[in-house]
Amino acid sequence: MTKHLRTALLCTAFGLASGWGAGAGGAQAATIKVGVIAPFSGPFAMVGKTFKEAIAVYQAEHGTTVGADTVEFVFKDLDQANPAQSKALAQELIVKEKVGYLAGFFFTPDALAVAPLIDEANIPAVIFNAATSAITEKSPRYVRTSFTLWQNTVPLAEHMAKQGIKKVVTAVSDYGPGIDGETAFKATFEKAGGSVVDTIRMPLKSNDFAPFMQRIKDSGAEAIYAFLPAGPTTLAFAKAFADNGLKDKGIRFFGPGDITQEPDLPALGDAALGITTTFNYSQSHDSAKNKAFLAKHKELFGSSDTVTFTSVGAYDGAHVIYTMIQKTGGKSDGAKAVDAVKGMSWESPRGPLTINPDSRHVTQTIYLRVVEKVDGKLQNVEKAAFADQPDYGYKVGK
Amino acid sequence: MMSATPSAATSDRTDAARMTASSPPLAAPLKTPRDLGWIGVPVVAVAGLAAFWLFPSDLGLLTRILAAALYVLSLDLVLGYCGIATLGQAAMFGTGAYVAGIAAVNWVADPLALLAIGGVAGGLIALATGALILHARGLTLLMLTVAVTQIVQEVANKARDWTGGSDGLSGIDPNPVFGAFRFDMVGRTSYLFALAVLVVALLVARRIVRSPFGLACRGVKEDPLRVSALGGSPKAYLVAMYAVAGVFAGVAGALTAVTSGIVGLDSASFSWSAEALVMLVLGGTGRLYGAVIGTVAFMAVHHILAATDPFHWMLFIGLFLMGVVLFLPGGILSGFERLAGLLRRKGDKA
Repeated sequence: MTKHLRTALLCTAFGLASGWGAGAGGAQAATIKVGVIAPFSGPFAMVGKTFKEAIAVYQAEHGTTVGADTVEFVFKDLDQANPAQSKALAQELIVKEKVGYLAGFFFTPDALAVAPLIDEANIPAVIFNAATSAITEKSPRYVRTSFTLWQNTVPLAEHMAKQGIKKVVTAVSDYGPGIDGETAFKATFEKAGGSVVDTIRMPLKSNDFAPFMQRIKDSGAEAIYAFLPAGPTTLAFAKAFADNGLKDKGIRFFGPGDITQEPDLPALGDAALGITTTFNYSQSHDSAKNKAFLAKHKELFGSSDTVTFTSVGAYDGAHVIYTMIQKTGGKSDGAKAVDAVKGMSWESPRGPLTINPDSRHVTQTIYLRVVEKVDGKLQNVEKAAFADQPDYGYKVGK
Repeated sequence: MMSATPSAATSDRTDAARMTASSPPLAAPLKTPRDLGWIGVPVVAVAGLAAFWLFPSDLGLLTRILAAALYVLSLDLVLGYCGIATLGQAAMFGTGAYVAGIAAVNWVADPLALLAIGGVAGGLIALATGALILHARGLTLLMLTVAVTQIVQEVANKARDWTGGSDGLSGIDPNPVFGAFRFDMVGRTSYLFALAVLVVALLVARRIVRSPFGLACRGVKEDPLRVSALGGSPKAYLVAMYAVAGVFAGVAGALTAVTSGIVGLDSASFSWSAEALVMLVLGGTGRLYGAVIGTVAFMAVHHILAATDPFHWMLFIGLFLMGVVLFLPGGILSGFERLAGLLRRKGDKA
């Protein structure tokens, strides 16, 4: 017993001493830690992997130092949406690891959970994904480099109205992002003169879509706006859409780009052909910056097939954090760091980005894409671009 | 640290053995050793305080462990003392967390009042669902408990205006405890608050399982037919204990809501129910302290593995669980007991 106690005490003493050591390093040549909370195991492990790889690509391109300071990323695994654990991990990162920045966050509740912490510790949190508009309203220290459903849906709804489409059915999964998409679509499309003839909310875990297909057929709609979580559910939905003859009947399939993200396209197969989506990033985006990003990714990890929207979210997030460190001279002051990047613009693999000073969310180009076969490989081929789209959902309310 | 309990019990038993040798007429009553289980409560309190000093920068994790221990304790009341096989404990935990969270956002800010609200909510839902489903046994009951959890989770998902749906219920900002101790960032208040709640809960749970009511529940677990032959109603006992456990789970949920400031759909999920079962079996069922030890062991190992290798830790935790199940089938506490048994036999020989 006493032996254990002694070991424990020694450990604590050592821990404290090394903590002081790091603190005493002061302004020159300190190591600035960035805590990344994301799923690195379990069903969403792919997301964490894309975050980690994108950060590695960024560091390979820009080095691991900013000025005299070394930037070190610390990864914490949060395998599923679990806000209480997210908060405990953030607490540990701040108190024990002494991180100066928090980043990552795939699920909305996990991002929301750290709001009181980042305010009290005065630490910025850069969100790589979590896409509910309301997050950045909860603390002035959130900056987001991903997208929101409003941001993707509004240009899509406007485009559809311009195409002369009058009657649309919305079919969304019954959870936060789905409802967000439905609300955004309905508001925009009806304002543009179209009518939403039916709003279908499908159970999140359902894989049998035949009854919904019948409802869509009966409604006499010309097109559907669909949003489901990426993966098997979208696959089943797209298959049911083709199998029930809706595709042959000429009903057109629209949705936000999450549903046809690159890693899922091979599984979706030919059922996905012709799906029209709007999104902030496509692997096939034609720009020098994107080509360089993909090439570096391939060089480091052997393949760039897994590169997707979460990759650019993390890549641009790393850029924002580097800029914050550079502009604050390595001093840890969250409020100042966020102020320093308000309004900043840069060129990303996905196109030009600007951080909106009010919403602290990226204003970006949203692309209209159609799933087509290019050289035998399914791709989201960009057809049009809508420049400078802000987060339309900011302060819209629930 | 926990080994203090069994070893104390052992010395007690060897004393008893010696006394038996000298005074044979007293043999019968002394065969059941004097109960020293109460030592566990101060041991938990002291160990908890020691952890507070030893790991001052891990209080976030430690607070979660304490709240989870309370939750697993509630499962032990149901499974360990009534033999109710359930995968639905998260329904009560989630209800307690959500009701306390909603109360905190809209009306109440006192942390103790929030715990009470969560406990009442958890107890009520357990009473209502328990009365409906506890006529079933075994696998049927298991399925029904899973169904109850799914319903609670779906209600929480649908009632978006109240619960925030899949975005989680945020904005829970309780007042300082007793108006003096603010919930700080490092988590000192949260931790000590949770520790106090757990210790009180252990005392209450101990009192309950040793009361005539608790003994009757154990009777139902062992032989329900006999209990009804004696004039008792097995179902009434089960429902009552189910509701009592619901109160504990509700308080645990409210404790999580108060200390973390947010409630998510995961708090009423199937996997959270299953995890409680894993932690309880790991520690040992029907012992109360097994719940605490199992939770501490599981979550500490989970945390250490996930911190050292955030990418492959799940494999190692699987191996760890298999190891425990293979070598200590009755849980960690049973290992201590077996050790104590060995020592005793040696003592008897000497």
